[in-house]
Amino acid sequence: MVNVKIYSTETCIWCAKAREFLTSHKVKFTELDVGSDRKAAMEMIHKSGQMGVPVIDINGKIIVGYNEGALKKALKIR
Amino acid sequence: MSKKKSTGKNYDFLVLGAGGTGLAAAMYAARLGLRTLVLGHSHGTELPIGGIITTTHIVENYPGFTKISGPELAREIEKHALSYDLVSVKGGKALQIKKKKGIFIVKTEKTDYKTKTILFATGTRWRKLPDSVKNSSKFENMGLSYCALCDAPLYKGKTVAIIGGSDSAAKDALLLTEYAKKVYMIYRGSEIHPEPINLQRIEKNKKIEVINNTNLTKINGDEFVKGISLDRKYKSSNELNLDGVFVAIGHEPLSQISAQLGVKLNGKKEIKINHMTSETNIHGVYAAGDVTDKPFKQLITGVADGCTAAYYAYEYITKEKVMVT
Ligand SMILES: Cc1cc2nc3c(=O)[nH]c(=O)nc-3n(C[C@H](O)[C@H](O)[C@H](O)COP(=O)(O)OP(=O)(O)OC[C@H]3O[C@@H](n4cnc5c(N)ncnc54)[C@H](O)[C@@H]3O)c2cc1C
Repeated sequence: MVNVKIYSTETCIWCAKAREFLTSHKVKFTELDVGSDRKAAMEMIHKSGQMGVPVIDINGKIIVGYNEGALKKALKIR
Repeated sequence: MSKKKSTGKNYDFLVLGAGGTGLAAAMYAARLGLRTLVLGHSHGTELPIGGIITTTHIVENYPGFTKISGPELAREIEKHALSYDLVSVKGGKALQIKKKKGIFIVKTEKTDYKTKTILFATGTRWRKLPDSVKNSSKFENMGLSYCALCDAPLYKGKTVAIIGGSDSAAKDALLLTEYAKKVYMIYRGSEIHPEPINLQRIEKNKKIEVINNTNLTKINGDEFVKGISLDRKYKSSNELNLDGVFVAIGHEPLSQISAQLGVKLNGKKEIKINHMTSETNIHGVYAAGDVTDKPFKQLITGVADGCTAAYYAYEYITKEKVMVT
């Protein structure tokens, strides 16, 4: 079972793309709004070592930014 | 010209760049019966479909929409283009272009497309802080951001600076005040120069402090940004303590790929076009929007020039009777 989390902000365009990508590939995910959730923001910074959104955590593998190739690889989507 | 649905690899009009300009041109080309393909980056650090307008929170100068967010406006323009069967939008990056027997061949990672005409609507990329600003690479995404719309919510209750004096910088400053408690707007010139309506908003906004005639020299911090150094004293100090730095110091045209066809650029690397027809120095090759040498760059002007290009591409194909084989 893949455990997918997106750390995002409400206004970020690449977060919307990431959400769209996961939904279109029927991948279930949890989304954490780092703009309003301080704890989630700290968790994101701790995991990725940086402050840019989106950050996507796929079973512990951290992807910074929207990168379709990296998402496909981590989710084994062809 | 074919009336067939826009699939396959042969096109009348191929648009590089799926920003507002490219999508609007495609809409117009379809009305003229041109089979049209729009290729746009859609991942990584490049702009998503819709282009750079998706990075602004409010657009108030696009006719038909009194007030609309950039991403929403881009979606409407994309929807409009895709309402024509003759238009297809694909998320690919053009890597190579050549001309063979009057036909253009555009190579992406996966496919080669053939087309009778080409429109460069590749826009621009953010200009990064120069290396002379110490630590600018070190702090990228560590409190230094090039996208206020993306990252502003992370600065709730914090103090930030926006570097730049343009209308885009002013809009970013106003957006930042929705989250931050204080926004310094730092500009190297003698006076910031946004649209007068945005200048008034800046002047009225108590959270914004404009610092003119001043350059950023260094970003300070440990792991994350803690402050900046300036080349002039402000309130008796060259240092400002803050939590985030946003940069809006202009854009660089993404015109390199057009050089493969011998398209002429100006000194700023903008594509030189005929300001009446949007044609470049190469027959059948057009450019429109932020990538061109037109001085006034807004979505509405890009859209207009994109549609003009579609019209002259149609004229060219009809007059020259160009065939794709
Ligand atoms: C913060 C901000 C606020 C703004 N506010 C307003 C406003 O309120 N009103 C207004 O009218 N204008 C505004 N503008 C200006 C406006 O956004 C631009 O003038 C307009 O969107 C430019 O559109 P474009 O399609 O020419 O370029 P872009 O939108 O930059 O699109 C170019 C596209 O081409 C793609 N591309 C590049 N190279 C390739 C390649 N080799 N292959 C395939 N694709 C490629 C890019 O990834 C991108 O998606 C604003 C700009 C900014 C930055």
